[in-house]
Amino acid sequence: MNAIEEKLWNYIDGTCAPAEQEAIARLIEHDELYAKKYQELLALNQEFATMELDEPPMAFTYNVMETIRTENALQPLKAAIDKRIIKGIAIFFTLTIVALLVMAFSSIDISGVKLNITMPAGIKLPNASGILSSSFTKWFLIFDLVLVLFLTDAYLRRRKATKHV
Amino acid sequence: MQSKLSDIELIEQTLAGNQSAYADLIKRHQRFVFTLAMRFAKGREDAEEIAQDCFVKAYRSLSSFQGQSKFSTWLYSIVYTTAMTFLRKKRIATDSIDDEQTYIQVEHHESGYDTDNVENKSRSFYLNQAIEQLLPDDATIITLFYKGEQSLDEIAQTLGIEANTVKVKLFRARQRLKEKLERNLKQEVKELI
Repeated sequence: MNAIEEKLWNYIDGTCAPAEQEAIARLIEHDELYAKKYQELLALNQEFATMELDEPPMAFTYNVMETIRTENALQPLKAAIDKRIIKGIAIFFTLTIVALLVMAFSSIDISGVKLNITMPAGIKLPNASGILSSSFTKWFLIFDLVLVLFLTDAYLRRRKATKHV
Repeated sequence: MQSKLSDIELIEQTLAGNQSAYADLIKRHQRFVFTLAMRFAKGREDAEEIAQDCFVKAYRSLSSFQGQSKFSTWLYSIVYTTAMTFLRKKRIATDSIDDEQTYIQVEHHESGYDTDNVENKSRSFYLNQAIEQLLPDDATIITLFYKGEQSLDEIAQTLGIEANTVKVKLFRARQRLKEKLERNLKQEVKELI
């Protein structure tokens, strides 16, 4: 019986394929059981469509609009200001600073300046090739690698957890 | 009086700063949203809280509405998620079989009242009574299909499930509604006799 009802509901809703639609129409026409069930479901369908909607309280719209107004009033200034304005101000100051720097550097004449840097006698610069080949550097790089792997793992776990939420 | 502007036009006006346009949108959809909320809350106060929360949430994210689907479909999906969150908060399981037992108890409890006015009760009264006895998911699908002017695809979008699943769920919900309707009517006849 359920299979017949399922077919008939699909027929009533118009959700079955055209060929199936035709087949069911023929069954309704010739099979008494189908015809009876079809009339029953059709009546039920019409009855379901007469369902009444619930009426919200009179002041519903007013209450929602009041909540929105209150929220807007409580909104911090940072959120209330259009972000484009903030970006515009930031761009203006950045450009001004860059222009000033360009002007300042272009007005400096460094052709006559001679650099003569000598290290004080007591200070010895370390041998760079010595540091790079030492075991200390190797351990330092291994530690860095482990740290990078740990941080990447923590980041991926956090992202996965956020996705699940 | 409700506005003659379309939902999209009202949304554009709201985004341009005209708050009364949003009030018009609320007036247009409030009955349906409230009814959907009632399907979950089973109490007017809670339903009002859910419906109000939905409209506030919709207002907050109105700028993210792309217009790819109907506004109503988008709004009903907000109602559904808000109502589900509300139910979770209230620790009411919505779709477990155990709950069916609770509802059966409730319906048996409720079916005995107001027997004096049985003659005055219309078929729609019994229909609404039967819908109230359904599980929230069943009642929501029935309401969306018959009153929300939503296609199976749109209902699927609202509930976040496949259209085929909606088809199956709608069939089962209709069966349950039919059974409850018949049971209630039989009960009333018995009490009359």
